[in-house]
Amino acid sequence: MRGDALLTARGIARRYGSFEALAPVDLAISRGERIALIGPNGAGKTTLLSILAGVGVASAGSIEWAGGPALAVGWVPQRPALYPRLTARENLRLFAGLESAADPRAVADGLIERADLGKVADRPASALSTGTLQRLNLAIALAGQPALLLLDEPTGTLSPDQRHRLWNWITEMVADGDMALVFSTQSIDEASRSADRIVTLVGGQLRMDGTLDDLIRAAGTDPSGPAAGETAFMALVGDDQ
Amino acid sequence: MLRAGRLLFIKDLRVLGRSRGLLAILIGYPIVIAVLLAIALSGGDAKPSVAFVNLDAQSGRTVQVGDERLSVDDYANRLGEVVNLVRVDAQQATEALGDGKVSAVLTIPEGFVSDLQTGIRSPVITLQTNPRSPIEAQAIERRLEAMVFRLNQALAGAYVGQVLNLVDLIKNGGNVALFGQTGTLAGLKSSQQTIRDMQRALRAAGKPEEAAKAASLLDFITGVGENLDLAKPAAKAIASPIRLDVKAGAPGREPLSALGIAGALVVGLGLVSVLLSAALLSAEREDGVLSRLGRGLVSPGSIIAQKAVVSAAAALVVGMVLLGVVAVSTSVTVGRWGIWVIALLVAGLAFGAFGLLIGALARETRTALLAGLMISLPLAVVALIPGSDVAYWASAVAGFGPAARVFQQVLVDPEVTTSLWSGIGLLALIAIAYGVIARFVLARRMHT
Repeated sequence: MRGDALLTARGIARRYGSFEALAPVDLAISRGERIALIGPNGAGKTTLLSILAGVGVASAGSIEWAGGPALAVGWVPQRPALYPRLTARENLRLFAGLESAADPRAVADGLIERADLGKVADRPASALSTGTLQRLNLAIALAGQPALLLLDEPTGTLSPDQRHRLWNWITEMVADGDMALVFSTQSIDEASRSADRIVTLVGGQLRMDGTLDDLIRAAGTDPSGPAAGETAFMALVGDDQ
Repeated sequence: MLRAGRLLFIKDLRVLGRSRGLLAILIGYPIVIAVLLAIALSGGDAKPSVAFVNLDAQSGRTVQVGDERLSVDDYANRLGEVVNLVRVDAQQATEALGDGKVSAVLTIPEGFVSDLQTGIRSPVITLQTNPRSPIEAQAIERRLEAMVFRLNQALAGAYVGQVLNLVDLIKNGGNVALFGQTGTLAGLKSSQQTIRDMQRALRAAGKPEEAAKAASLLDFITGVGENLDLAKPAAKAIASPIRLDVKAGAPGREPLSALGIAGALVVGLGLVSVLLSAALLSAEREDGVLSRLGRGLVSPGSIIAQKAVVSAAAALVVGMVLLGVVAVSTSVTVGRWGIWVIALLVAGLAFGAFGLLIGALARETRTALLAGLMISLPLAVVALIPGSDVAYWASAVAGFGPAARVFQQVLVDPEVTTSLWSGIGLLALIAIAYGVIARFVLARRMHT
């Protein structure tokens, strides 16, 4: 899935006073690449994602976009970031308008169809189920036709069934074109199934960047045992889990 | 960014339209408070209660003053025009004053009517005020002094009338009833005629020398008559050396009405604008949308400007509704709607910017609303303290003081003065200052 380079982050770090939330991290992302940021709570996943999204401010480091100025980024925070009193359609139209879409109505209608929100499009967002709301949250992030989609634990609040359906939908969404996908998760299973590269963060430090096999090798655990990935992840994380 | 601001403006109106409970609280509550405040301030001239002790009640006597027969009750009724008299005995009056049920005790002394009737000495009525309420005591004192002065003037006029009647009686003769005495008086004219008749009779009796002796008496009577003619205007001047000519001014320019309306506007607009802008901005954070907007979709400055415009528009609507109610339901002249539009919009911007700072600092909408209310309400009340520079500058912190003065000026001053523009300019500066601070706080919230 790797294509041309999209962005290169060098030495990205974030400090809050004396607390180091994220130690200097280097990360290169290519077009069409799917990267899972995995790590326990407080590992620095959200901090890194929010800096890449342009929402958070890095204390140090730089981000260089291939080919010049920053490209469109789709940002999906962990908690749905939308207006609960507006309908799904109104939310999509508003954010498409804010993303400077030439025809926000058409963009919204297209996303409603792609996200299978037709039946609930004219309901207030506050009346949607958790899974549907997360789909809307994701659809809003796509309104600006981003080159990079950043998802902060998108399935964190969903049931296993909802997770499965959401990932099917995300896979469908990113299947076309060369949009890169970076998501954070605490599930090695989710990471191994949905990403072709796993970046492990522990205590604000990048511990491992590679495939699942690389992670198992780095952990030194049995690759043939049951739940080999889970075992390797637990070993890598250690007491921080 | 203008497009983004416009989109968020439309979104806010749509959200507000669907949040009827919030809208009712944000708009309804300040209007109710404002109306209650206006009623309270406009009713500030209500008559204070004063205990009335009549120690001359047993006499049951009345005094004839001119054409009028005056009793203690009549006197009390006239004093009751300026204070609410509560008729009690001396002991009850003392207790009522001690309990704070009345603001003062007015005592009519024994022999009051008798003293008035004889005119030998001036009767003394006593006013005992409550030292715990010095301001109210002063007000009662001034009201009763003014009323006693008016009654004294009326009595003096009546007494002078009686004296002039006596002058007429001396000149023309007739029946006399004065200070309880009655009788018949001959009068100067009748005496003059009698002397002339006597002169004629003496001359006819061959006593011209005797008749000539009465001529000096006739000259004296003529002189006295002429001098008594001069006494009439002099007596009137003594009765009322200085007259106060009271003319009613144009309706709607009464300072108390202006204070009441300005107070209602300051409280109403202040609370609506502060609470609305604080709620709108904190709701963006509570809904988690700030992180999305913070990616560069909308600048913090645009968000602040857009919310300030919403709060100014709300202030204009609420202000116009309140002024419309005043114009339709009272005799107060509101006038100069063009200046009102400018004053309401700029005040709305100042209040709104202050609310935006609260909204930017608060983590939740509920916190923002509570903080907005707790800060704004006392400042709005302090702004209504008349004539205090300390209160003005203390409440100017959030624009309340300058707004109150601007509103009063628009209501009271017939001309658009430099002072009015200065007040509007100060409100604009307050709006800019808070807007800039709120923008920086919001920027920090958007980019953590």
